[in-house]
Amino acid sequence: MVGVNIVATDPKKLKAVVEKEKVNWLSVCATEAMKAEWNNPGTPSFYVIDHRGVIRHKWLGVPGEHAMDAALEKLIGEVPGGGRKEPE
Amino acid sequence: MDHVIKPFLVFILAITGLMAGAKGDEPPAERYKGLMKEFSQTARGLYEAKSDEERMAVAEKMVKLTPQFMELGEKTPEQAVAMDGLTGVVVQEIWMENNTLYPGKEKDNLEDRAISLLLERYIGSVKLGEVCTRVSYGFRKSCETLLRTALEKSPHREVQGMACLRLAQFLNNRMRRMDLLKDKPEMARRYQVLFGKDYLEGLDRMDRGVTTKEVEVIFERAAREFADVKLPYNGSVGATAKLELHEIRHLSVGKEAPEIEAADEDGKPFKLSGYRGRVVLLYFWSEY
Repeated sequence: MVGVNIVATDPKKLKAVVEKEKVNWLSVCATEAMKAEWNNPGTPSFYVIDHRGVIRHKWLGVPGEHAMDAALEKLIGEVPGGGRKEPE
Repeated sequence: MDHVIKPFLVFILAITGLMAGAKGDEPPAERYKGLMKEFSQTARGLYEAKSDEERMAVAEKMVKLTPQFMELGEKTPEQAVAMDGLTGVVVQEIWMENNTLYPGKEKDNLEDRAISLLLERYIGSVKLGEVCTRVSYGFRKSCETLLRTALEKSPHREVQGMACLRLAQFLNNRMRRMDLLKDKPEMARRYQVLFGKDYLEGLDRMDRGVTTKEVEVIFERAAREFADVKLPYNGSVGATAKLELHEIRHLSVGKEAPEIEAADEDGKPFKLSGYRGRVVLLYFWSEY
Protein backbone atom coordinates (compact mmCIF):
# COMPACT_ATOMS: atom_id res chain seq x y z
CA MET A 1 0.00 0.00 0.00
CA VAL A 2 1.20 3.48 -0.88
CA GLY A 3 -0.15 6.45 1.06
CA VAL A 4 0.01 9.93 -0.39
CA ASN A 5 -0.20 12.56 2.30
CA ILE A 6 -1.89 15.44 0.57
CA VAL A 7 -0.95 17.97 3.26
CA ALA A 8 2.79 17.31 3.59
CA THR A 9 4.92 18.51 0.68
CA ASP A 10 8.32 18.14 2.37
CA PRO A 11 9.82 14.71 3.28
CA LYS A 12 10.99 15.94 6.72
CA LYS A 13 7.52 17.07 7.69
CA LEU A 14 6.07 13.87 6.25
CA LYS A 15 8.49 11.75 8.27
CA ALA A 16 7.43 13.55 11.45
CA VAL A 17 3.75 12.87 10.72
CA VAL A 18 4.46 9.25 9.78
CA GLU A 19 6.27 8.71 13.07
CA LYS A 20 3.65 10.52 15.13
CA GLU A 21 0.76 8.60 13.55
CA LYS A 22 2.70 5.27 13.56
CA VAL A 23 1.96 4.81 9.86
CA ASN A 24 3.04 1.39 8.57
CA TRP A 25 2.74 1.91 4.82
CA LEU A 26 5.06 3.63 2.37
CA SER A 27 4.29 7.34 2.47
CA VAL A 28 4.84 9.80 -0.33
CA CYS A 29 4.72 13.62 -0.31
CA ALA A 30 2.18 15.47 -2.39
CA THR A 31 3.21 17.80 -5.21
CA GLU A 32 1.09 20.46 -6.87
CA ALA A 33 1.35 18.69 -10.25
CA MET A 34 0.20 15.42 -8.75
CA LYS A 35 -2.69 17.02 -6.90
CA ALA A 36 -3.87 18.58 -10.15
CA GLU A 37 -3.47 15.30 -12.04
CA TRP A 38 -5.53 13.47 -9.40
CA ASN A 39 -8.21 16.22 -9.19
CA ASN A 40 -7.22 17.37 -5.72
CA PRO A 41 -8.40 14.19 -4.03
CA GLY A 42 -10.48 14.42 -0.89
CA THR A 43 -9.32 12.40 2.10
CA PRO A 44 -9.67 9.63 2.76
CA SER A 45 -9.91 8.22 -0.74
CA PHE A 46 -8.62 4.97 -2.18
CA TYR A 47 -7.70 3.76 -5.65
CA VAL A 48 -6.89 0.16 -6.46
CA ILE A 49 -4.47 -0.09 -9.40
CA ASP A 50 -3.87 -3.44 -11.08
CA HIS A 51 -0.57 -4.90 -12.27
CA ARG A 52 -0.91 -3.18 -15.67
CA GLY A 53 -1.35 0.25 -14.03
CA VAL A 54 -5.12 0.41 -14.66
CA ILE A 55 -7.54 1.85 -12.08
CA ARG A 56 -9.88 -0.99 -11.11
CA HIS A 57 -11.66 0.40 -8.03
CA LYS A 58 -12.03 3.78 -6.42
CA TRP A 59 -13.64 4.70 -3.17
CA LEU A 60 -14.25 8.12 -1.71
CA GLY A 61 -14.35 7.41 2.00
CA VAL A 62 -13.64 4.08 3.63
CA PRO A 63 -15.36 1.19 1.78
CA GLY A 64 -14.97 -1.27 4.66
CA GLU A 65 -12.22 -3.81 5.19
CA HIS A 66 -14.10 -6.64 3.52
CA ALA A 67 -14.68 -4.83 0.20
CA MET A 68 -11.06 -3.71 0.10
CA ASP A 69 -9.58 -7.13 0.91
CA ALA A 70 -11.83 -8.89 -1.60
CA ALA A 71 -10.89 -6.43 -4.37
CA LEU A 72 -7.17 -6.73 -3.65
CA GLU A 73 -7.19 -10.54 -3.42
CA LYS A 74 -9.00 -10.81 -6.75
CA LEU A 75 -6.53 -8.52 -8.53
CA ILE A 76 -3.48 -10.15 -6.94
CA GLY A 77 -4.82 -13.43 -8.36
CA GLU A 78 -4.74 -11.88 -11.87
CA VAL A 79 -1.03 -11.01 -11.69
CA PRO A 80 1.16 -13.31 -13.74
CA GLY A 81 3.59 -14.97 -11.32
CA GLY A 82 1.65 -14.15 -8.14
CA GLY A 83 2.16 -10.38 -7.86
CA ARG A 84 3.84 -10.25 -4.47
CA LYS A 85 7.34 -9.44 -5.71
CA GLU A 86 9.16 -6.29 -4.56
CA PRO A 87 9.33 -3.36 -6.99
CA GLU A 88 12.55 -2.89 -8.92
CA MET B 1 -64.00 10.97 37.93
CA ASP B 2 -65.81 11.46 34.63
CA HIS B 3 -66.96 14.95 35.44
CA VAL B 4 -63.39 16.04 36.22
CA ILE B 5 -61.93 14.82 32.93
CA LYS B 6 -64.60 16.23 30.64
CA PRO B 7 -64.13 19.93 31.39
CA PHE B 8 -60.40 19.39 31.17
CA LEU B 9 -60.75 17.86 27.68
CA VAL B 10 -62.94 20.71 26.54
CA PHE B 11 -60.33 23.13 27.79
CA ILE B 12 -57.55 21.34 25.87
CA LEU B 13 -59.62 21.29 22.67
CA ALA B 14 -60.30 25.01 23.04
CA ILE B 15 -56.59 25.77 23.43
CA THR B 16 -55.65 23.61 20.42
CA GLY B 17 -58.30 25.42 18.38
CA LEU B 18 -56.83 28.77 19.35
CA MET B 19 -53.33 27.65 18.43
CA ALA B 20 -54.46 26.38 15.05
CA GLY B 21 -56.12 29.75 14.43
CA ALA B 22 -52.90 31.56 15.31
CA LYS B 23 -50.92 29.33 12.92
CA GLY B 24 -53.31 30.14 10.09
CA ASP B 25 -52.80 33.87 10.62
CA GLU B 26 -49.02 33.67 10.60
CA PRO B 27 -47.53 35.53 7.60
CA PRO B 28 -46.45 32.96 4.94
CA ALA B 29 -42.83 34.16 4.96
CA GLU B 30 -42.65 33.52 8.73
CA ARG B 31 -44.37 30.17 8.30
CA TYR B 32 -41.73 29.21 5.71
CA LYS B 33 -38.88 30.24 8.03
CA GLY B 34 -40.45 28.22 10.85
CA LEU B 35 -40.74 25.14 8.62
CA MET B 36 -37.12 25.45 7.49
CA LYS B 37 -36.03 25.70 11.11
CA GLU B 38 -38.05 22.62 11.97
CA PHE B 39 -36.48 20.82 8.99
CA SER B 40 -32.91 21.56 10.09
CA GLN B 41 -33.62 20.65 13.71
CA THR B 42 -35.20 17.36 12.66
CA ALA B 43 -32.30 16.70 10.26
CA ARG B 44 -29.84 17.21 13.11
CA GLY B 45 -31.82 14.64 15.10
CA LEU B 46 -30.90 12.03 12.52
CA TYR B 47 -27.19 12.42 13.18
CA GLU B 48 -27.79 12.19 16.92
CA ALA B 49 -30.01 9.09 16.63
CA LYS B 50 -28.36 5.95 17.96
CA SER B 51 -30.46 3.13 16.51
CA ASP B 52 -32.43 2.35 13.35
CA GLU B 53 -35.66 2.79 15.33
CA GLU B 54 -34.61 6.28 16.38
CA ARG B 55 -33.61 7.10 12.81
CA MET B 56 -36.95 5.87 11.52
CA ALA B 57 -38.71 8.02 14.13
CA VAL B 58 -36.86 11.06 12.77
CA ALA B 59 -37.93 10.17 9.23
CA GLU B 60 -41.56 9.77 10.39
CA LYS B 61 -41.41 13.21 11.95
CA MET B 62 -39.84 14.72 8.87
CA VAL B 63 -42.27 13.22 6.40
CA LYS B 64 -45.04 15.27 8.05
CA LEU B 65 -43.29 18.50 7.07
CA THR B 66 -43.50 17.88 3.31
CA PRO B 67 -47.27 18.51 2.98
CA GLN B 68 -46.85 21.71 4.98
CA PHE B 69 -44.21 23.01 2.54
CA MET B 70 -46.53 21.91 -0.28
CA GLU B 71 -49.46 23.83 1.18
CA LEU B 72 -47.33 26.99 1.32
CA GLY B 73 -46.23 26.41 -2.25
CA GLU B 74 -49.70 25.81 -3.63
CA LYS B 75 -51.79 28.27 -1.67
CA THR B 76 -49.65 31.31 -0.88
CA PRO B 77 -50.49 34.24 -3.13
CA GLU B 78 -47.03 35.80 -2.56
CA GLN B 79 -45.07 34.28 -5.42
CA ALA B 80 -41.61 34.43 -3.81
CA VAL B 81 -42.78 32.53 -0.73
CA ALA B 82 -44.80 30.08 -2.82
CA MET B 83 -41.69 29.25 -4.86
CA ASP B 84 -39.71 28.80 -1.63
CA GLY B 85 -42.42 26.44 -0.37
CA LEU B 86 -42.23 24.28 -3.51
CA THR B 87 -38.43 24.32 -3.33
CA GLY B 88 -38.75 23.26 0.33
CA VAL B 89 -40.72 20.18 -0.75
CA VAL B 90 -37.93 19.24 -3.18
CA VAL B 91 -35.10 19.90 -0.71
CA GLN B 92 -36.73 17.92 2.05
CA GLU B 93 -37.74 14.92 -0.09
CA ILE B 94 -34.27 14.66 -1.65
CA TRP B 95 -32.68 14.93 1.78
CA MET B 96 -34.84 12.03 2.96
CA GLU B 97 -34.01 9.95 -0.12
CA ASN B 98 -30.29 10.44 0.49
CA ASN B 99 -30.14 10.19 4.27
CA THR B 100 -32.93 7.96 5.53
CA LEU B 101 -34.45 4.62 4.65
CA TYR B 102 -37.90 6.13 4.41
CA PRO B 103 -39.29 4.51 1.29
CA GLY B 104 -41.16 7.50 -0.15
CA LYS B 105 -44.06 7.11 -2.57
CA GLU B 106 -44.07 5.87 -6.11
CA LYS B 107 -47.45 7.42 -6.96
CA ASP B 108 -48.88 10.82 -5.89
CA ASN B 109 -45.39 11.87 -4.96
CA LEU B 110 -45.23 15.42 -3.62
CA GLU B 111 -41.74 15.97 -5.01
CA ASP B 112 -43.00 15.25 -8.55
CA ARG B 113 -45.97 17.56 -7.99
CA ALA B 114 -43.77 20.37 -6.61
CA ILE B 115 -41.38 20.04 -9.57
CA SER B 116 -44.14 20.20 -12.15
CA LEU B 117 -45.55 23.32 -10.42
CA LEU B 118 -42.09 24.92 -10.32
CA LEU B 119 -41.78 24.40 -14.09
CA GLU B 120 -45.32 25.57 -14.78
CA ARG B 121 -45.13 28.76 -12.72
CA TYR B 122 -41.47 29.71 -12.25
CA ILE B 123 -39.59 28.81 -15.44
CA GLY B 124 -38.91 32.56 -15.78
CA SER B 125 -37.43 32.92 -12.27
CA VAL B 126 -33.72 33.43 -11.77
CA LYS B 127 -34.04 31.45 -8.52
CA LEU B 128 -34.56 28.28 -10.55
CA GLY B 129 -30.74 27.96 -10.72
CA GLU B 130 -30.64 27.09 -7.03
CA VAL B 131 -33.39 24.50 -7.53
CA CYS B 132 -31.23 22.93 -10.27
CA THR B 133 -28.42 22.44 -7.74
CA ARG B 134 -30.81 20.83 -5.27
CA VAL B 135 -32.33 18.38 -7.75
CA SER B 136 -28.92 17.24 -9.00
CA TYR B 137 -28.74 15.18 -5.78
CA GLY B 138 -32.14 13.65 -6.49
CA PHE B 139 -33.14 10.31 -7.94
CA ARG B 140 -36.47 10.76 -9.65
CA LYS B 141 -37.27 11.19 -13.33
CA SER B 142 -38.95 14.53 -12.50
CA CYS B 143 -35.53 15.91 -11.41
CA GLU B 144 -34.12 15.15 -14.85
CA THR B 145 -37.18 16.78 -16.48
CA LEU B 146 -36.65 19.94 -14.42
CA LEU B 147 -32.98 20.16 -15.40
CA ARG B 148 -33.61 19.54 -19.12
CA THR B 149 -36.48 22.05 -19.22
CA ALA B 150 -34.52 24.75 -17.36
CA LEU B 151 -31.59 24.24 -19.74
CA GLU B 152 -33.71 24.70 -22.84
CA LYS B 153 -36.37 27.16 -21.70
CA SER B 154 -35.06 29.43 -18.95
CA PRO B 155 -34.70 33.02 -20.18
CA HIS B 156 -31.68 33.50 -17.88
CA ARG B 157 -28.25 32.41 -19.06
CA GLU B 158 -27.05 31.80 -15.49
CA VAL B 159 -29.97 29.42 -14.88
CA GLN B 160 -29.26 27.61 -18.17
CA GLY B 161 -25.58 27.27 -17.25
CA MET B 162 -26.41 25.88 -13.83
CA ALA B 163 -28.98 23.50 -15.35
CA CYS B 164 -26.42 22.27 -17.89
CA LEU B 165 -23.76 21.51 -15.25
CA ARG B 166 -26.23 19.98 -12.81
CA LEU B 167 -27.88 17.83 -15.51
CA ALA B 168 -24.52 16.23 -16.32
CA GLN B 169 -23.84 15.71 -12.60
CA PHE B 170 -27.32 14.25 -12.08
CA LEU B 171 -26.83 11.73 -14.92
CA ASN B 172 -23.34 10.90 -13.66
CA ASN B 173 -24.62 10.34 -10.08
CA ARG B 174 -27.37 8.12 -11.43
CA MET B 175 -24.85 6.00 -13.29
CA ARG B 176 -22.79 5.58 -10.09
CA ARG B 177 -25.91 4.50 -8.22
CA MET B 178 -26.68 1.94 -10.89
CA ASP B 179 -23.16 0.56 -10.40
CA LEU B 180 -23.79 0.43 -6.66
CA LEU B 181 -27.01 -1.45 -7.30
CA LYS B 182 -25.07 -4.20 -9.07
CA ASP B 183 -22.98 -4.66 -5.89
CA LYS B 184 -25.94 -4.39 -3.54
CA PRO B 185 -29.03 -6.03 -5.05
CA GLU B 186 -30.88 -5.56 -1.72
CA MET B 187 -31.14 -1.86 -2.62
CA ALA B 188 -33.29 -2.68 -5.67
CA ARG B 189 -36.64 -2.51 -3.87
CA ARG B 190 -35.88 0.89 -2.42
CA TYR B 191 -34.67 2.17 -5.79
CA GLN B 192 -37.84 0.87 -7.40
CA VAL B 193 -39.92 3.04 -5.08
CA LEU B 194 -37.68 6.07 -5.59
CA PHE B 195 -37.30 5.82 -9.36
CA GLY B 196 -40.59 4.12 -10.26
CA LYS B 197 -40.70 0.59 -11.67
CA ASP B 198 -40.70 1.44 -15.41
CA TYR B 199 -37.96 4.00 -15.00
CA LEU B 200 -35.77 1.58 -13.07
CA GLU B 201 -36.23 -1.05 -15.79
CA GLY B 202 -35.28 1.55 -18.36
CA LEU B 203 -32.11 2.34 -16.43
CA ASP B 204 -31.31 -1.34 -16.26
CA ARG B 205 -31.33 -1.54 -20.07
CA MET B 206 -29.23 1.62 -20.30
CA ASP B 207 -25.90 1.25 -22.08
CA ARG B 208 -23.09 2.47 -19.87
CA GLY B 209 -20.90 3.60 -22.76
CA VAL B 210 -23.70 5.61 -24.38
CA THR B 211 -24.62 7.26 -21.09
CA THR B 212 -21.01 8.14 -20.26
CA LYS B 213 -20.74 9.77 -23.69
CA GLU B 214 -23.94 11.75 -23.07
CA VAL B 215 -22.62 12.94 -19.69
CA GLU B 216 -19.35 14.02 -21.35
CA VAL B 217 -21.18 15.90 -24.12
CA ILE B 218 -23.27 17.83 -21.57
CA PHE B 219 -20.20 18.69 -19.43
CA GLU B 220 -18.44 19.84 -22.63
CA ARG B 221 -21.41 22.06 -23.47
CA ALA B 222 -21.31 23.52 -19.92
CA ALA B 223 -17.58 24.24 -20.27
CA ARG B 224 -18.00 25.77 -23.75
CA GLU B 225 -21.21 27.79 -23.51
CA PHE B 226 -21.45 28.69 -19.82
CA ALA B 227 -17.83 28.76 -18.64
CA ASP B 228 -18.12 32.14 -16.88
CA VAL B 229 -21.38 31.44 -15.01
CA LYS B 230 -20.56 31.67 -11.32
CA LEU B 231 -21.56 29.06 -8.77
CA PRO B 232 -23.26 30.37 -5.61
CA TYR B 233 -20.37 29.75 -3.19
CA ASN B 234 -17.21 29.58 -5.23
CA GLY B 235 -15.92 28.57 -8.63
CA SER B 236 -17.62 28.63 -11.98
CA VAL B 237 -19.58 26.28 -14.22
CA GLY B 238 -16.60 26.08 -16.60
CA ALA B 239 -14.00 25.16 -13.97
CA THR B 240 -16.27 22.55 -12.35
CA ALA B 241 -17.20 21.01 -15.72
CA LYS B 242 -13.49 20.70 -16.61
CA LEU B 243 -12.73 18.91 -13.33
CA GLU B 244 -15.62 16.52 -13.93
CA LEU B 245 -14.41 15.81 -17.48
CA HIS B 246 -10.89 15.14 -16.20
CA GLU B 247 -12.32 12.73 -13.62
CA ILE B 248 -14.26 10.82 -16.31
CA ARG B 249 -11.39 10.71 -18.80
CA HIS B 250 -8.44 10.00 -16.53
CA LEU B 251 -9.56 8.94 -13.07
CA SER B 252 -12.40 6.52 -13.64
CA VAL B 253 -12.33 2.75 -13.34
CA GLY B 254 -10.71 1.24 -16.45
CA LYS B 255 -8.37 4.19 -17.12
CA GLU B 256 -4.61 4.08 -16.79
CA ALA B 257 -3.63 5.66 -13.46
CA PRO B 258 -1.87 9.02 -13.91
CA GLU B 259 1.82 8.99 -13.00
CA ILE B 260 2.95 10.04 -9.54
CA GLU B 261 6.52 11.26 -9.19
CA ALA B 262 7.36 12.49 -5.73
CA ALA B 263 9.65 12.03 -2.74
CA ASP B 264 8.87 9.40 -0.13
CA GLU B 265 9.17 9.95 3.63
CA ASP B 266 12.96 9.41 3.49
CA GLY B 267 13.36 11.83 0.59
CA LYS B 268 13.94 8.99 -1.90
CA PRO B 269 12.32 9.35 -5.35
CA PHE B 270 9.07 7.48 -5.85
CA LYS B 271 7.40 6.62 -9.17
CA LEU B 272 4.00 4.97 -9.33
CA SER B 273 4.85 3.40 -12.71
CA GLY B 274 7.78 1.63 -10.98
CA TYR B 275 5.12 -0.59 -9.37
CA ARG B 276 3.88 -2.13 -12.65
CA GLY B 277 3.51 -5.85 -12.15
CA ARG B 278 2.13 -5.34 -8.64
CA VAL B 279 -1.28 -4.43 -7.31
CA VAL B 280 -1.21 -1.04 -5.60
CA LEU B 281 -3.65 0.30 -3.05
CA LEU B 282 -3.22 4.03 -3.31
CA TYR B 283 -4.50 5.89 -0.29
CA PHE B 284 -4.84 9.67 -0.16
CA TRP B 285 -4.75 10.75 3.43
CA SER B 286 -4.09 13.73 5.64
CA GLU B 287 -3.43 13.81 9.35
CA TYR B 288 -6.07 15.43 11.52
